[in-house]
Amino acid sequence: TVEPLEYYRRFLKENCRPDGRELGEFRTTTVNVGSIGTADGSSLVKLGNTTVICGIKAEFGAPPTDAPDKGYVVPNVDLSPLCSWRFRSGPPGEEAQVASQFIADVIENSQIIQKEDLCISSGKLAWVLYCDLICLNHDGNILDACTFALLAALKNVQLPEVTINEETALAEVNLKKKSYLNIRTHPVATSFAVFDDTLLIVDPTEEEEHLATGTLTVVMDEEGRLCCLHKPGGSGLTGSKLQDCMSRAVTRHKEVKKLMDEVFKSMKPK
Amino acid sequence: MPGDHRRIRGPEESQPQLYAAGEGEAPAPRDPARLRPVYARAGLLSQAKGSAYLEAGGPKVLCAESGPRRAEGGERGGGSVGAGCEAPAALSGRLLCDFRRAPFSGRGRDAPPGGGEERELARALQESLEPVGRLGRYPRAQLEVSALLLGDGGSALAAPLTAAPLALADTGVETYDLVVGCSLSRAPAPAPAWLLEPTLLEEERAAAGLTVALMPVLKQVAGLLGSGEGGPTESWAEAMRLGFEGCQRLYPVLQQCSVQAAHRRGAAAPL
Repeated sequence: TVEPLEYYRRFLKENCRPDGRELGEFRTTTVNVGSIGTADGSSLVKLGNTTVICGIKAEFGAPPTDAPDKGYVVPNVDLSPLCSWRFRSGPPGEEAQVASQFIADVIENSQIIQKEDLCISSGKLAWVLYCDLICLNHDGNILDACTFALLAALKNVQLPEVTINEETALAEVNLKKKSYLNIRTHPVATSFAVFDDTLLIVDPTEEEEHLATGTLTVVMDEEGRLCCLHKPGGSGLTGSKLQDCMSRAVTRHKEVKKLMDEVFKSMKPK
Repeated sequence: MPGDHRRIRGPEESQPQLYAAGEGEAPAPRDPARLRPVYARAGLLSQAKGSAYLEAGGPKVLCAESGPRRAEGGERGGGSVGAGCEAPAALSGRLLCDFRRAPFSGRGRDAPPGGGEERELARALQESLEPVGRLGRYPRAQLEVSALLLGDGGSALAAPLTAAPLALADTGVETYDLVVGCSLSRAPAPAPAWLLEPTLLEEERAAAGLTVALMPVLKQVAGLLGSGEGGPTESWAEAMRLGFEGCQRLYPVLQQCSVQAAHRRGAAAPL
């Protein structure tokens, strides 16, 4: 389009968007769990065309010295030239770093898993969960897709039983006996784009993100508690608009939770 | 990792689970010329010009291709002064290949990309792709191919070798043919037999490995990469023959996949 902003404004005036959605409507969300055999837990989430795959690998490490009874959860978001020609190969760029830090904040604030659960032997051995989120196709709203993929993959992770042999002080791993992680909360992210300082649209595509004057991401858990609010600059929002966003986020949480419960119920136990 | 301030910090070092779990089982005997079932699909990423996804038993590869785009930097090779003929190499298109492994694809977790092995595989990928595309038709253009290995299951190089030309063809760039990659490994003595498409276990215990890339219709070899213990020439020749047969058997699947993708694009075009 020659005048993309004008083109969009014409649709927004009629309260809809070029791809036929309403202002508050999300794209079709699909989730697939446990497809990567080599990872301890994995998931693939598609939000319209945006596709993010999450693979979690659990390794052993020494707990941090200032918190000897805690394990580690290390998220890493990878945006490569594969997902969009905007990105260059090499060390993580700005958008990837922002996304990784956002996911780390969500994990920390929502207490999705207690890091104490990851400790095997206080001060000596703990689990380190490396969560690698790779974006396969970037069509906007990466943060929502990443949060959802992380949650689904964490629910899919199975850790083997580890016992410390008292005589040798070495860890013994029993691969036959595996158990799921204890997931305490289910944070779900909802992203909005601000147009012309006033209009809010939900789940922006990449084009909409470019044309927007600001973005906002709200992360809620199942009890309606706010876990994280991410607003990187952009146009300001009034208090009432913020409240609208939060109520929309609560509705979205119900939709996502329903989808996830269906998926996990349909999975046959291994 | 220490010093890498662009990523979230984890512990200084960590050990994979298997180090404590002990040895795995030996690979089961099987028909040496068996091919694993293949699933191929082209044209699935909306943001890339061309893309292909290939699953061949264990390894899963996603390949995306962007371009042709205007090449950065000036023409290579300068111009020959006054002479009538031009140096065609300076004006033909360039192919840039990038190969990366997902950190969760191997047995242990690999550190984020940048390792030497990935560069070597990217180079091998580029060398095999260059004869395929008619790069002379895209002067001063640059085609970027990125391959991502999502799950390793043995034959880590053969799968991208097959997926990348499929993505290239999906872009619409003119190609002479598709390339099919096949990998083989030779078990250590006392039974040094060549096995087609080794699994991860077989590859780990192999004494030698070979990856061949064949253009099935033109019957030309696009790439050949071998390593390991030496052996008599007949053994390597036999391995190559086995590899080429495997490639020929795989070709109809890829051809069908390419045709289906073209149909889908044709059906979607009149919007």
